[in-house]
Amino acid sequence: MTDIALKMVFGERAKYAMLVSGICFSTILMTQGLALFFGILGFSYATATNVRAPIWVVDPLVQQVGDNQPLRDTDVNRVRSVEGVAWAAPLYVGGAQARLLGGGATQPVTLVGLDADTLAGAPTKLVAGDVQDLRRPQSVVVAEQFVEMMQRLRGERLRVGDVFEMNDRRAQIVGIAKTAQGQGGASYVFTTWDRAREYAPSQRRMLTHVLAAPEPGRSDREIAQVISERTGLRAITEEEFKRMSSHWMLVNSPIPYVVGLIVGIGFVIGLGVSGQTFYTFILENTRHLGALKAMGTSNLTLIRMVMTQAGVVGVVGFGIGVGVMSAFFSMLPEGRAPLRLLWPIPVIVFGAILFICSVAAVVSSWRVVRIEPAIVFRS
Amino acid sequence: MILLLRRVSVWASFVGVLAVIFMVRQTTAVEPMQPPPSVPARKPSARVIAAAGLVESLRENTRVGVPVAALVKEVLVQVWDDVEAGTPLLRLDDRELQAQLKTQRADLRVREAELAKARRQHDLGQALRGDGLVSQEETDTLRDSFEVAQARRESAQAVVAQTEALIERLTVRAPLRGTVLQVNTRAGEYVVPSGDAAPVLLGSIEEVQVRADVDEQIAPRVKPGARAVGYLKGDTENPITLEFVQIEPFITPKRNLTGSSAERVDTRVLQVIYKFPNGLPRKVYVGQQMDLFLEE
Repeated sequence: MTDIALKMVFGERAKYAMLVSGICFSTILMTQGLALFFGILGFSYATATNVRAPIWVVDPLVQQVGDNQPLRDTDVNRVRSVEGVAWAAPLYVGGAQARLLGGGATQPVTLVGLDADTLAGAPTKLVAGDVQDLRRPQSVVVAEQFVEMMQRLRGERLRVGDVFEMNDRRAQIVGIAKTAQGQGGASYVFTTWDRAREYAPSQRRMLTHVLAAPEPGRSDREIAQVISERTGLRAITEEEFKRMSSHWMLVNSPIPYVVGLIVGIGFVIGLGVSGQTFYTFILENTRHLGALKAMGTSNLTLIRMVMTQAGVVGVVGFGIGVGVMSAFFSMLPEGRAPLRLLWPIPVIVFGAILFICSVAAVVSSWRVVRIEPAIVFRS
Repeated sequence: MILLLRRVSVWASFVGVLAVIFMVRQTTAVEPMQPPPSVPARKPSARVIAAAGLVESLRENTRVGVPVAALVKEVLVQVWDDVEAGTPLLRLDDRELQAQLKTQRADLRVREAELAKARRQHDLGQALRGDGLVSQEETDTLRDSFEVAQARRESAQAVVAQTEALIERLTVRAPLRGTVLQVNTRAGEYVVPSGDAAPVLLGSIEEVQVRADVDEQIAPRVKPGARAVGYLKGDTENPITLEFVQIEPFITPKRNLTGSSAERVDTRVLQVIYKFPNGLPRKVYVGQQMDLFLEE
């Protein structure tokens, strides 16, 4: 009977193609929307993506990565004094304004000041230059986006060795790094902590984060907890920090709301299209099913056949859908499109497709059960 | 035909699922955490107190001051000069006092002449008194004049001595044996006693010590007498074992680590002094920053 069911599905090429493409289309719609949603949430913690450390120590009031509440300079040593901490390094993150010499181009940047001793948190993916050169006077490592933006404004491409200005101070590029883009589109500029004090608009306290790592054999979470207890500051693991930021953005920013709305509509439309497509398919096959019933096939077998058809169409449509979408994703420029395909996304979409196909199958089964075999002889 | 369609679509779907698995891995891949580009300073043991340290010369550096606001006439030393106690460092402009000294010396000569005259008259009076040619009253008057002249000369001498002392004071001398670490003034510049930067910074660099700043919140954990391990800034691979010297009894507002003058006090620190062991492999300079780990 399964054979017959499959023959019904594959039998008519046009119908099959329509069925599969319908489900394929909804898969793309749902997957893409969800990936976009999580990608946009990822903007909220771009700093934690670009500056890596197992443990982040921040002011207890901080609720997200972009919230730069100053700490006291001595807090680095307080964190360092906690048992189980292998190392702790100061970090400054703040906004600054970059200006090309001779004017003509200016853009906001996110300035990152790294510990000069260890360069903890320095970018790892450099397209040009060397991170160690950050120890040279007036040196900075800039993000690739910075170079691209300046190129759009000024027409010429900045290279390693070129000079620009921040806060009326000279900054020489010693490296260009691949980084994730932050909220608001400011690109990242890395320098040492002491130098960041000169480049950044003057503030009373210039320590915004303390980066730390546990000693080998101790877990990040455990040590973060110890630091929080001992210092009264908030120490959290990188993962928690990111999650906290996503959550904050989800609750406070209008962007996830807007995107979520679009994604939600996409999801509903996707479900509707696939359900409807499958239902139409069953409707069109009512006559065949009627014939089978007339030949004495039991209702149960018929329902099983419809379910099999739903499953096959769902699986094939989903597979092709995610394939097409993956191809599409891979064509987008790396790092620019905010798409994050978390593993639960395809799983959820697959579940949703199967669910809607089975709902459509159940609804049509009800019809199949009520079919009078005589239908074959009508029309 | 049916078989072909079936095969193609099923394969396409299979490939699609593989592709999406690949994409999931690619878009959500978190790079493994890299250690910092340079090895961070290693703690000597699990329980330590971390502190920021500043290298200074033994018994601290002397910020040699000037007694009065004046122009600098001459700078007599340069950095790295070893000086003994009393070695002149600076000469300040003394023209005004020299001018006064001239009139005061002239005045002294007048007083001396007057004294000589009074003495002669007094001696003469004494001699003639013996002969009975002068009355007792006249001799007394001559003696009084002689004594007044003497006192006047002494007063004039004192004025000259005072001015000379004031002139001498304009030569700034080293108060102790040491090395000139900084010279912050040049000939012709104006220096004031309460200036921010001392004109000359003096210290002993043969023996240096390090001053550790411990945040007051962890200060109770500091154990007097315990040793410390220090790393010079920029060198996290060569630990230096330091000997405890003393704890400063007074908690002070945080001073070093940043060096910015616009900084306001937001914490206070306990200062602990440590001394370097003998025979350091490398030179340690006064003013260098250190990361310290104090043993508990």
